[in-house]
Amino acid sequence: METEADSGNGSIVLIKQGAEARVFESSFVGRRSVIKERFSKKYRHPTLDSKLTIKRLNAEARCMTKARRLGVQTPVLYAVDPVLHTLTFEYVEGSSVKDVFLEFGSRSDVEEQLSNIASQIGEAIGKLHDGGLVHGDLTTSNMLLRNDTNQLVLIDFGLSFTSTLPEDKAVDLYVLERALLSMHSSCGNVMDRILAAYRKSSKQWSSTWNKLGQVRQRGRKRTMVG
Amino acid sequence: MKLFNINGTSLSVALYTDVTNSKELLESMQAGTLEPEVAFLNASLVPDIFPVLAAAHKTLVAKSRDSLTTRTIHSELVYNYSGSKHITESLKRCGISDSTTYILAARFDATPDAIEGIGKLINGKEIDLEELEGRANRPQIQKHYKISAPELGVSSLADAITCRIAARDVL
Repeated sequence: METEADSGNGSIVLIKQGAEARVFESSFVGRRSVIKERFSKKYRHPTLDSKLTIKRLNAEARCMTKARRLGVQTPVLYAVDPVLHTLTFEYVEGSSVKDVFLEFGSRSDVEEQLSNIASQIGEAIGKLHDGGLVHGDLTTSNMLLRNDTNQLVLIDFGLSFTSTLPEDKAVDLYVLERALLSMHSSCGNVMDRILAAYRKSSKQWSSTWNKLGQVRQRGRKRTMVG
Repeated sequence: MKLFNINGTSLSVALYTDVTNSKELLESMQAGTLEPEVAFLNASLVPDIFPVLAAAHKTLVAKSRDSLTTRTIHSELVYNYSGSKHITESLKRCGISDSTTYILAARFDATPDAIEGIGKLINGKEIDLEELEGRANRPQIQKHYKISAPELGVSSLADAITCRIAARDVL
């Protein structure tokens, strides 16, 4: 008889701390994993705080798994703990698109890779949007590339929601456009390539595209005057 | 028999084919007289051991909080593996029936005596867990867990099952 799969309570290492959650690296029944813990906000009423935290925790798990059903890679969800307010999921071995693009900025021999990544991004967002899922925080740091396959993996569905409104989809694209512009202008116009791939992948291209034109003029927030 | 460690509790797992006494096993399990107590899974629905370990992890967390949905940790394991909230249906589909010949047996914290007991309980041929993938009934798994073609383009069958086990209670 042999023993396999070491305990998961071994080492837990903090990777990142944000405003809403802390992210740890750990292991889950033998696999390298990430634990995302939504912590409580002391300034909120305890009952409200716990309700909000659990609601968001569940929404994130739902959106992550929904994205997979639509054919978009996300980390494999291992466990949801409503008592500890944690999600446990696969540790994706790879670097973020942000780091890859920043490294590209100073080089000229990366044309082919850049197109490949841009088309993967456009195709993935097209699939999400056609399935009625809006990511809500599309930035290059929320996109990873697997080391072995160069496959795009979307992460952080903490702000995701379901919607079929062209408005929501256009804002989703607009947020990405602004992020690319401020972080990666040295890579040239990546957004056009992403949109070209999005156009091929999404059946609702024209309504989203029209809306994006309006959103570009007014910004992410709608004016509520009059 | 293979041993897995899940947060300090062990799970002993053995895979059997050509089982001839599933009817008796089912009857003594339903009567609650199965000795030692053990979980029987319909192994055709198990393409890899990992989702079983994820279900076991979920079971142990519920046990530690005294919040099991079913009567024992072993029935809870079968129920959790199903990824569904329907208990009767889960036990019927992911557990064994009169005519099941391909069975995955699992037991938490098994003593050497219990392991010997499980071997005696089942009339069948023990085979290696490596055989799971090749012997899995893929169409049946896809139907049971409602796994679409686009999802299989980006995910293995085992990962898709794991996600459903983990996300069951948030839906």
